[in-house]
Amino acid sequence: MKLLEGLIVILAMIVPFFAIKSYDMSAFLYWIAVTAMYLIYIALSRW
Amino acid sequence: MSYFLIALAFYAIIGTVIALYARKGIKTQEDYYIGGRKISGVVSSLTYAATTYSAFMMVGLVGLTYASGVGSLGFELFYLVGTLFLLSYYSPKIWKIGKERGYITPGDMMFDRYGNIVPKIMAVIVSIALIPYISIQLIGVALIIEKNSGIGFVYGVLLAAILIAFWAFLGGLRGVAWTDALQGVFMLGLAMAAVIWVYNYGFSQTSFIQEVPKLGELLVVPNKIWTPFRFIALTVPWFFFALTNPQVFQRLYIPRDERALRKMVILFGTFGLIYTVLVVFLGLELRVMSETGIFPVVSDRDAVTPTLLGLMPSWLGLLVALSIFAAAITTANSIVLTLASMVSKDLIGSKDIMAGKILIVAITGAIAIFAIQRPGYIVELSVLSSTILLCQLPLIFGVFHWKIGGRYAAGATLIVGSLSAILLYYMKANPLGVPASVWTLLISFAVFGIVGFLEKAEHR
Repeated sequence: MKLLEGLIVILAMIVPFFAIKSYDMSAFLYWIAVTAMYLIYIALSRW
Repeated sequence: MSYFLIALAFYAIIGTVIALYARKGIKTQEDYYIGGRKISGVVSSLTYAATTYSAFMMVGLVGLTYASGVGSLGFELFYLVGTLFLLSYYSPKIWKIGKERGYITPGDMMFDRYGNIVPKIMAVIVSIALIPYISIQLIGVALIIEKNSGIGFVYGVLLAAILIAFWAFLGGLRGVAWTDALQGVFMLGLAMAAVIWVYNYGFSQTSFIQEVPKLGELLVVPNKIWTPFRFIALTVPWFFFALTNPQVFQRLYIPRDERALRKMVILFGTFGLIYTVLVVFLGLELRVMSETGIFPVVSDRDAVTPTLLGLMPSWLGLLVALSIFAAAITTANSIVLTLASMVSKDLIGSKDIMAGKILIVAITGAIAIFAIQRPGYIVELSVLSSTILLCQLPLIFGVFHWKIGGRYAAGATLIVGSLSAILLYYMKANPLGVPASVWTLLISFAVFGIVGFLEKAEHR
């Protein structure tokens, strides 16, 4: 389960290498969104 | 006397007062090295953040973003999610086992599982990896002092070295953590002020969003600089930073209870996300301004922030320079204190505080000598530091997940893993197109597994 979580996080972080190709702030905002969501997930679901 | 020196004197006085206050009640190694396990969640998070985020952020990462674009954010946030992933899983276990068994250094956990030789080897390897790394911080700090005050490089190194040693010497972890907390807030505030000032300076007539497409390839990955190879090579050592770097590992022992530990992890993550976004955004702003002719085109990426400081109003430039100074000091004194604890307790076997205090002075002295001499291999070793430290990872996983692996497996892993990192780096070898950092990790796990299996067979 933990490994699966790690794998999902890594895959989510490398998405811009494959899927985001627009010359704007999309990749920038995407990475912020993924990190923020993971932080919220940890804050709410752990401990 | 320059304004920078006045600000520096003010900064030094405040830090010294805090460190003097923090020394009250310090009697044992537990008090001195890990604050008696009584540090609040907020202070724990800020010292964790200030220790992690060095002068690299406002100098190195701003320049890296300027030169290579948005991939820098991916690289830095990859580190952050890796740290959050590892901390959310391992930190409660490490904190609990540390409290139950009275661990003070990262080596104490290794001693319980692998015997007394392994923490000694670990102390030597982390010293080799981290002393050049801190020397680079000291060189950066001395250059800032030289540029802003006219004080010569050697005197700048000595001044910074005294500050690094003095606060740790006086107040131990509590002194370091309290001064870190204050400086962490200062670093974040000044990063925000820099972003706002640059935005007002560069985008009063136009909009950042309208101009940013001019960056073209710098807004996507992969690009010429952020190739998949480089991204993997850089992110692998950083992904495991929370477990492999002793100065942050030791901070997992310091929160006063589980609630404070949870607060530490979440607030650190929040700090890290905001600070990283601010710093990368600053680099992008400056690059867009270069494209539109408002900011000079800077070819040396390490010169981007100094160029910016020269354009800012003198009071703001001075405060930002001081925040970079603070970032370097907070990282350096935390590492010095951790190294002093590992060398005195794990390597020498001392049970009192005095040995650690002497070692703080000795280690800082060694760092200052390295920094003053500035031999080329310091830079190379400092780049290597996080890769060398990867060799500890199988040992840490072994404690929590595997029955296989005893003292021979652990000792062989540390020696072979660290030597592999150094050899691959000096040979500039990336066999089969795989980065040296990944090879170091694979070799370390392979050695641990093979020697562990042989140990088990012999035991039977």
